[in-house]
Amino acid sequence: MVARMRPAFRGTELGLIFWVALLVGLGFLAVIGAGASALQASSLIVPATFVAVAVALHLFLAVRGSRGDQLLLPLALGLTAIGLVMVERLAPPVLLLQQLTWTVVAAGAFVAATLIPRDLTVLARYKYSWALAGIALLASPLLPVIGRELNGARIWIGLGDLLNFQPAEAVKILLVIFFASYLEENRELLASAPARRLGSVVPPLAYLVPIVLMWVLAMGVMVLQKDLGATLIFFGIFLAMIYLATGRATYALTGVVLLLAGGSLAARVFAHVGARIDVWLAPFSDELRFGAGYQLVQGLFALGNGGLLGAGLGNGMPDRIPVVWSDFVFAAFTEEVGFIGAIGLLALYLVLVFRGMSIALRAPTPFLQLLAAGLSFGLAFQTLVIVGGNAKLIPLTGVTLPFLSYGGSSLVTNFVIIALLIRVSDITVRVRGG
Amino acid sequence: MDVPYQIALWGVRLAFLVVLYVFLIRAFGSLWRALRTEAELAARPALAYLVVQRTHAQGPRAGERLPLRTISSLGRDAGNDVVVNDEAASARHATVTLSDGAWWLEDQGSTNGTLLNGQRIVRRERLRDGDIVEIGRVGLRFEAAA
Repeated sequence: MVARMRPAFRGTELGLIFWVALLVGLGFLAVIGAGASALQASSLIVPATFVAVAVALHLFLAVRGSRGDQLLLPLALGLTAIGLVMVERLAPPVLLLQQLTWTVVAAGAFVAATLIPRDLTVLARYKYSWALAGIALLASPLLPVIGRELNGARIWIGLGDLLNFQPAEAVKILLVIFFASYLEENRELLASAPARRLGSVVPPLAYLVPIVLMWVLAMGVMVLQKDLGATLIFFGIFLAMIYLATGRATYALTGVVLLLAGGSLAARVFAHVGARIDVWLAPFSDELRFGAGYQLVQGLFALGNGGLLGAGLGNGMPDRIPVVWSDFVFAAFTEEVGFIGAIGLLALYLVLVFRGMSIALRAPTPFLQLLAAGLSFGLAFQTLVIVGGNAKLIPLTGVTLPFLSYGGSSLVTNFVIIALLIRVSDITVRVRGG
Repeated sequence: MDVPYQIALWGVRLAFLVVLYVFLIRAFGSLWRALRTEAELAARPALAYLVVQRTHAQGPRAGERLPLRTISSLGRDAGNDVVVNDEAASARHATVTLSDGAWWLEDQGSTNGTLLNGQRIVRRERLRDGDIVEIGRVGLRFEAAA
């Protein structure tokens, strides 16, 4: 343990954080400069605090002597910086301070996750406890006193007016931990080819138990909490991980069929699911254009309005999109920085996910491999689901754009994911050397 | 608002995009350097090899030289450094490690055990040039590079 504390020089990380600091400074300058009020020293408190947090996190890793990845933290901070700029641009001022507070909380969570003992096996050892904790958290919004229903979905817990937390976000990590350790133990059984009878491609019943249980859980989330986004993310992560662990496409295909069947049934039975599908299919229709489809229609106009170079940061018309700061940050950002800026933003996610997947490939044990791959896939899939939803590629579901959307639970969760990925790469470097 | 202010504002907006791309390019550059270093490491000659002596139709090819790293895992699973495709091999069967200037063979709790020169090993055993390691029906000769 003593040797671990020897400080490490993390030059690449520090160099990149310098550019993040410049990015957040210019972003705030552009947004405030375009506003009605004059530029004041006090308006730069938020970016200054953010830069201080960023440098503190870098110094923490350096002093602790982490030899883990140096790209992940700057990428996460860069995206968070753009997120803060967009909250300043789009949301009421009180939300900006809340988001800054959440950024500090997220930094604290990052530090806490970095301190998890040595080789993270503690995560694998108590897998059923983590799974139970996850399910309990997931169910907590259904409880009377602390549960909250906002915008038609009962997915929040909170005390008082502030500090609403969306437990489904944190559950994502717990589920990935559980899947990783469960699959590490059982992949022999799951991957072994059952005796092939003529024409039989579907594995026998015993092999289907976990996938069916997970499907029941996912559908439960959709029915009881009306949270389409979480349903999609949980199930997507599960299918990706079972495929990674077993290499059998049958599981993924069975899962997709189950999901489509469940989805189309739900669209008929539950009004809120059906409404999403209708809006997705024909948002410009006469009944929906100024009704349920209004948000998506305005979002599409914003995307198109951006053109190649955008209207200029602070110069768009994002106010036209209702609750733009949570579900439509991507559309608002694209309107102001154009195709060029949107591609740059998506490329940041690409590098982040690519890096996560390379960490997974190099990790020394199947558990760490599955953990890193599952967390990285979750980030990628969630980005796809919300950006695809903004662009009317798939039905819109209310998930956050990682690091960017306004929302504390999401930010905290994503910083824990980054901390875990850095830990996995740190362990890899120590085990493999070099 | 007056014209110079507008020009300055557009300058800031442009600078934001430029910085976004500089950040991106630097991140890509770091990614690229890491990938190149990895490729160079992979191209370096290995420290030792396992040469396939005895095998079967689905196993590795006879005479194939499998490179070893400072820590190499052996087993049936595709994630291993040395993949031994044999029904009698466990997913993670054994490891070969270089430590204290010597090579060591260790069984990782495999179902059917690991044989070193015909003897089933219990704990960590020293590997010497020319030793025969057997996993299931596959026999491998250990060959130190230097």
